[in-house]
Amino acid sequence: MENTVNAATAESELSVPPQAPPKKKPRSRVEKRENLVAFLFILPPVVGFLIFTAISMGCTFVFSFQNYYVRRGTSEFVGFTHYVSLFSGMFKAGELGNAFIKSVGNTIFLLLSLPVSIIFGLVVAGLLRLGDVKGGKIFQILYYLPAVSSAVALNIVWRYIFQSNGLLNHMFGTGTPWLSDDMLLKVAIVLKNSLNATGGAMILLLAGMLNVSKELYEASSLDGAGKFKQFFAITLPMLTPVIFYLLITGLIGGLQSYADSQVFAKGDSGAATIVYFIWQQRTNGAAGYGIASSASVFLSVCIMIITLVQFKVSNKWVYEE
Amino acid sequence: MENQKDYNAAEATVTETDTELTVTVYKNKSHRLWLTVLLKIVAYAVLVLGAVLLVFPFLWMLLSSFKTGNEASLQFTFFPKQWVFENYKELFTGTDFPIFRALGNTVLIEVSVIIIGTFVSAMAAFSFAKLKLRHKTFWLLFLMSGMMVPYAALMLPQYRAFDAMHMTDTLWPLILPGFFGNVSMIFFLIQYMRGIPNAYFEAARIDGANHFTCFILIMLPLIKTAIAAQVIFWFVGIWNDYFAPSLYLTSRNRMTLQVLLGQLNAGTSGKYLPMALAGAVLSSIPMLVIYISCQKFFIESLAISGVKG
Repeated sequence: MENTVNAATAESELSVPPQAPPKKKPRSRVEKRENLVAFLFILPPVVGFLIFTAISMGCTFVFSFQNYYVRRGTSEFVGFTHYVSLFSGMFKAGELGNAFIKSVGNTIFLLLSLPVSIIFGLVVAGLLRLGDVKGGKIFQILYYLPAVSSAVALNIVWRYIFQSNGLLNHMFGTGTPWLSDDMLLKVAIVLKNSLNATGGAMILLLAGMLNVSKELYEASSLDGAGKFKQFFAITLPMLTPVIFYLLITGLIGGLQSYADSQVFAKGDSGAATIVYFIWQQRTNGAAGYGIASSASVFLSVCIMIITLVQFKVSNKWVYEE
Repeated sequence: MENQKDYNAAEATVTETDTELTVTVYKNKSHRLWLTVLLKIVAYAVLVLGAVLLVFPFLWMLLSSFKTGNEASLQFTFFPKQWVFENYKELFTGTDFPIFRALGNTVLIEVSVIIIGTFVSAMAAFSFAKLKLRHKTFWLLFLMSGMMVPYAALMLPQYRAFDAMHMTDTLWPLILPGFFGNVSMIFFLIQYMRGIPNAYFEAARIDGANHFTCFILIMLPLIKTAIAAQVIFWFVGIWNDYFAPSLYLTSRNRMTLQVLLGQLNAGTSGKYLPMALAGAVLSSIPMLVIYISCQKFFIESLAISGVKG
């Protein structure tokens, strides 16, 4: 991303000289005026960023070191207390720390849908190519349908499918308590999310497959490689950038999941995610607000690290031309 | 368009190499043919099964929205024993879940945010793409750095600030941030605007037009389609947005469609279950219409984002 920006701006600067006046004057009045106008044009997003991102982020950071007394509207500084109590659940049983550690565990468990959906997407896209299937467009449209639908609507119907006398139990003649058992609840969410994310993965992987140079296939088929061998020896390795992209964007989105806990699990602690924990803790006494803030700081540090790793790593181990 | 071409071209070469293969290794021809046919059958079977699995919930939603509360929650039936329209009627006429108010609220957010936010974004993109702005790269990276901050890290102070201004349980917290533009839209429009020749603007400048006039009268008409594409994305995003609206909106008259749907779901003793499903059907219809009519564009932009990303 960074590279594209730099390259793009460099390009636009390169294209300027032919039209610029031959003599290089010090910044003229006209230029200064244009610079001012240009700045005024970008001012609203800059102000919006300052208010809604920079300042908000700073406040969250400050709040994470404070107790907040809602009634009196006052705060007191408590140092790293909240961070300590967040992670204390790992070592000794404190009710609150436990809830946080549990929410981290739940969030990580729910991320399982990510590799599963990528594998599903790979299978579907692979079959579409290998089988030389006609009407690939129609399959793409149908598979991507859940991605443009509302998460709430989908959660409502999936909950109905998973309920104790629901379609799933009826079809297999079982009485699996999908919605009341902590573990099964998470498995149910992973299942439905994997299915719903398959379409997006499939479309990106297909686009990646079409991007692989045809010469590679021609050369390898002259060497006698069959379709399957080509798929594993050429297609799959060439798809690493797409898979990596899917993993990173999925990871960033998955760490912020909320609707699954709130709508699908109806707040059941068995599927409470980090963001759900944050929003619940907020009103939990004087310390609650600070604890919620410190959990937010923890979450955003994780996400920033992942984003930065993406910039660094994507150049190294991922195959790119 | 280009994608489509690539797709066909790639498909053609695959079949080409295929025949080549069958010619060169003709001894294995029958074996290979058998394998190809089997592969085709498996491919179609898996693809169709997957499509059924993914589309079925929507059909199930529709079917079950015509059941009575007892039928949906206490027993299992595939088709409704008796098709009742009560759920829809209750949604349309009842006062417990004012769906028209919710629709109105959603549309209000959509219209105000999109009109002002798009204008602001396009103006910023114009500055980045066509004007001489000092420290351009810095400002662009500055804005884009916001994309890696999760909303969860911003919601607590924002909520507190809106609460202090007595704006919680109003639409303002959902509308105001949109007025300042949308970074991904800015980024997309910059790339699109770069492709438009500078000559247009130079000619207008010579005729005495100022930058703002250039933007309004020349740039905006030229990028109509790009803007339309981004607006559709944004529209769908706002329509389906649940997290922030569910935090701010607490009284039913103020809720957006998705939050009201969440309420219908949360309130379920079984009686409301088919009503929640009916609500899900109603809120999905506009998105389905938009998606089906613009499907090519949705899928192509997604494919491009991955290849470039």
